[in-house]
Amino acid sequence: MYGAKVLSLIVGALINLSGPGSYIKWGFIQMSVANLVLILLMIVVLALAIAIPFPHRPGGKK
Amino acid sequence: MINEKEIMDTNVEDEEIINRQWTTKLRRKAVGELPPQKLLPDSQPAYVSSWIYVFGVLTLSALGVVAISGAILALFGPSWWQQSPEGHFVNSLHLWSVELFFFFMVVHLWGKFFMAAWRGKRALTWITGAISFLVSIGAAFTGYLSQQNFDSQWIATQGKDGMNSIGIGAFFNLMNFGQMFMWHILLLPLLVVIIVGIHILGVRAKGVVPPIGALENKQEYAKAWSGKVRPYDIIKEGTIALVIVSLLTVALSVVFSSPNKAPLTIQRWAKADPTDFVTTAATELAGTSFSGSYGPPYNNGNGALQYVGPISLQKLAGVRIPINSAQDFVLQPLATIPNNPTLKDALNTYEAATPSLQNIWNNNFAKADAKLAVNGNSISVPKGNYGPIPVLMKNLLTMANTGGLDADLENSHQFYGTDYTKPLLFMADGNYMATLAQQDHLTGDQWGMMNETDKWPGQPWLWLYTMWYQIPPMSTSSNADALVMSIMVLLTIGFASIPFIPGVRTIPEKVGLYKLIWRDFYKDQKSTK
Repeated sequence: MYGAKVLSLIVGALINLSGPGSYIKWGFIQMSVANLVLILLMIVVLALAIAIPFPHRPGGKK
Repeated sequence: MINEKEIMDTNVEDEEIINRQWTTKLRRKAVGELPPQKLLPDSQPAYVSSWIYVFGVLTLSALGVVAISGAILALFGPSWWQQSPEGHFVNSLHLWSVELFFFFMVVHLWGKFFMAAWRGKRALTWITGAISFLVSIGAAFTGYLSQQNFDSQWIATQGKDGMNSIGIGAFFNLMNFGQMFMWHILLLPLLVVIIVGIHILGVRAKGVVPPIGALENKQEYAKAWSGKVRPYDIIKEGTIALVIVSLLTVALSVVFSSPNKAPLTIQRWAKADPTDFVTTAATELAGTSFSGSYGPPYNNGNGALQYVGPISLQKLAGVRIPINSAQDFVLQPLATIPNNPTLKDALNTYEAATPSLQNIWNNNFAKADAKLAVNGNSISVPKGNYGPIPVLMKNLLTMANTGGLDADLENSHQFYGTDYTKPLLFMADGNYMATLAQQDHLTGDQWGMMNETDKWPGQPWLWLYTMWYQIPPMSTSSNADALVMSIMVLLTIGFASIPFIPGVRTIPEKVGLYKLIWRDFYKDQKSTK
């Protein structure tokens, strides 16, 4: 019984994405806000991956 | 395995035979190309020092989570993942691990492009990477088709036109859930694993490409790196990546869950919009519906027959999934209803009538569509010469309302027991299904291929495919699907061939993002000089 309650807590979405989505329209381009967020996140992550210094020991051997 | 000592002990003739053996040659080639220190390296070139390098292993880790969550779903089946909370949670894990897989793979691909990672005889590594991306899209597509919810139904009915337009639909039927499920859980994942395996072995055999301008001549880029190296624990990196991806997948599933819009049934359609059901059924009987006049692979019509120039691959593939809309959607299902003499008479009258008389009845009924009134299981039309059609439609509506028509059309006699071709074609011929799809921005003119129902992210990696449909001449052409598919085939070949296309392969050098990626190396190189 307790397990079922915990499970229902886990499987219940904290942020409910059910319901009509939002869409942007720019000329002939249409996109859902969720897809746009995903694409922007990919660009941000690429930029961060390049910009953030990679930890390493100086030098290295030949 | 025979070692060198044993070879020496054998006589000269045996030794020559052993040296000529395919097995010996393959082993020597494999060990020569991929010695253990290359397969499981403990160090790597010092220039591999950017976060961009971690996206390859993150992609692989996500693929692992996709495989595990997918295997669990396959074991328990659609009812489990749609109706039970545990099943739906595993469904969420599968969805989000797929989203992460593509997310990491796209960033990995961008990174490799800006590093011109095909240099130094590494073109095959780029090609296998590009192919694995495209095969993964196919695997994800069949996954969306396998959900058995409204999204998968709509994608199947729309995507079929693209497949049919180039003849593939005759063999790869998007509306056949059993066939798509087999592709999704076995054939395409197997292909992904094989291609990714070749890709990884290519990376291990050739090594990570040195920075642009690091070496004096082009030939040196293909040789093993002889500069500075740093310690590298590949097993530790892989384990950390797997843990991070697993935690991210669980977190995203807990926070966002996954879509689960109930599938549309003929019963639901008939109850929600009986007028649309009856008018659609009448066009099926007349053979004038989209499916009834579609053309190959369903019949010999030409309503959806497409050409690329003078060639129709759709026609060449032929009628492979025979559909006679009057027989399959109306007359045969009605013939299964027992103990109904009025219906039996109506069926006999219709089937005994000449085609021209059937046409007169069908045309008259079509003209009366606007004045058709449907209430519950009863329909009324203005007085006219419709023959037995009102009786047929009334009984078909009753059958649909009880769920009998769903059961009859799903009752497949083919190898795959879950072939939804007939009910999906029937429902897609009506307006109700399209209205529901439009509400969720799933239609072609809404860039629907990219979208998921409600507020969930969908498949943004399909942006290029869906974009072509918005641009003239595709946006107005009756051959749009065939044209778009042809463009995508050409672009796919171009994408995999980037290492060989002058002007495109030098873009990374012109953009110069590589200078940032390898800034530590260039700084070190400068200070050493």
